[in-house]
Amino acid sequence: MSALAISQRPAISRQLARLPGWTVLVVWTAAVLLPLYILIVSCFKTTAEIYDNRLGLPQSFALDNFINAWTRADLGQNFINSLIVTGGAVILTIVVSAMAAYPLSRYKLGWNAIMLGLFLSGIMLPIRLASVELFTLMRNLGLLDSLTGLILVYSAIRIPFAVFIFANFMRVLPSELDEAARMDGAGEVRILFQIILPMVKPAVSIVAIFTAIAVWNDFFFPLIFIFDDRYKTVPLAISVFVGQFRTDWGLVFASLAISMAPILIMYCLLARQIREGVGTGGGMK
Amino acid sequence: MSTLRRTSSLRRTQQRMAVLFTLPALAVYALFVLYPLGMSLWGSFFVWKGLRMVEFAGLSNFSRLFVFPSGARLYGALWHNTAWFFGIMLFQNGIGLLFAWLLFLRDRGAAFFQSVFFFPAVLSPVIVGALWRLLLAPGGVVEWALNGLGLHQGSLTVLGNSHTALAMLIAVDAWNWMGLPVLIYTAGLRQISGQIFEAAKLDGAGNARMLFSIALPLLMPALGTLTTLSFINTFNQFDIVYVMQGVQGNPSYSTDTLVTYFYRLAFGAEGAVGITDIGLALALGTVLFLILSIGTLMMLRFFDRRTVQL
Repeated sequence: MSALAISQRPAISRQLARLPGWTVLVVWTAAVLLPLYILIVSCFKTTAEIYDNRLGLPQSFALDNFINAWTRADLGQNFINSLIVTGGAVILTIVVSAMAAYPLSRYKLGWNAIMLGLFLSGIMLPIRLASVELFTLMRNLGLLDSLTGLILVYSAIRIPFAVFIFANFMRVLPSELDEAARMDGAGEVRILFQIILPMVKPAVSIVAIFTAIAVWNDFFFPLIFIFDDRYKTVPLAISVFVGQFRTDWGLVFASLAISMAPILIMYCLLARQIREGVGTGGGMK
Repeated sequence: MSTLRRTSSLRRTQQRMAVLFTLPALAVYALFVLYPLGMSLWGSFFVWKGLRMVEFAGLSNFSRLFVFPSGARLYGALWHNTAWFFGIMLFQNGIGLLFAWLLFLRDRGAAFFQSVFFFPAVLSPVIVGALWRLLLAPGGVVEWALNGLGLHQGSLTVLGNSHTALAMLIAVDAWNWMGLPVLIYTAGLRQISGQIFEAAKLDGAGNARMLFSIALPLLMPALGTLTTLSFINTFNQFDIVYVMQGVQGNPSYSTDTLVTYFYRLAFGAEGAVGITDIGLALALGTVLFLILSIGTLMMLRFFDRRTVQL
């Protein structure tokens, strides 16, 4: 309860005073939910029905648009690609960032501050501007047109944020934790993965969620690095698809619905962690 | 003596482990972020043939960038990004503050509204752009609704009109990210002690007075975070423009941004299709890098100084 909710005014006038505020909030809720509602009902309509029946429920819940989107645009393959890239980048980012953050936040070594600064500066670096050199580098390494290449680039981009979050969470753990383990003869690798990492689970989920969202949604790097249809990710496929079938609205709406389904489900399950993560961890995107 | 030896041997182990543990992250980060970025800045001083550096050219790429014909594109894009930034500050971060304040006042239902407002932010800007392109298209549902309400007549061409297209993209972007300021401001408001508001209330301050005279000065760190983030995001704007208006920033470059212009120079489609101008692209990249880093540092400094300590 916030302090302001306490008031001495009588109940009815208190409710009335709240009316304008409520209205504003409800209007924006509608502005968010209506487009999504239209998106979902339009998936089941033919283009003609989309014109005739704008807001109503579809006459029949035909799945034609979904089947066409899945098969004609080969969204299934794009889905698998996006899953591989997102999963790979999340795991790689978490492992290497936790490893780097551990000594930087818990050992008392002279160069820790400099190393942390080097990593943290990456949070602001506009990597898109380096995409020409990155393209040449990827070509020389044979990483163009490959999911491995995307995983490496995304991890590199997300490492600064992940090191920042891990270091912040690890710094405040009591030093007795690792000292006691060291007395018992545990190695540093074991201390990190069996003692420290389980203690910073909230950091792991913040890093995992925000890396997954950023990587799943990214469009820029697949656009430059992927040419072969077999390796296209969902956002890239969608951008092509929207241009190709621009007059078949039912089909385009269905492809949009399919591509946002995993994020929608994840969001419904993790809304609370995401809200708190943004509140504590700061920005994403 | 033995403790001393143990400490120094622990120190050596730690030094060795620190190097081993930091190396993988550092290697990936240095190879795919620091190295290409450094090379891009360096490369902006060279003449390029295709993807090959030919000879040192001093500032000639930069002087080409600022004069006709590229100058017109550069200043156009710069203006669009600037307008975009102020539009987002006003319509996203400003209205977001109002929403956060309203949610803070009532408290009940806050989690629900925050979740709904934030939902578009987890969607790909490509999906958001494609969705709004369909909704705003001639014959789309927005046209139908406006015609039905008598607010507009005939075909809705806001995305095809060079006077309105940019404003529409800014609005879609604000719709996409509105949940971010709401969450960050709410987190900031929760950190302010309730006693301060209680005291102000006893002194007879109304809600508006409390928002502007008490909450806002104490929200400087949140405002700083949002301003800096919005600045970085605005000057990196690409996806929404690409999906809604094409890589040329249609109609007639009226929604062109610095990154869409950079993309055309670097990967083709500026001038004759498929022709690239790497030297010019890297010079633009360097200018954009300077704008972003100087701007960000100035903003961080500005908001750091204005942070009120209690």
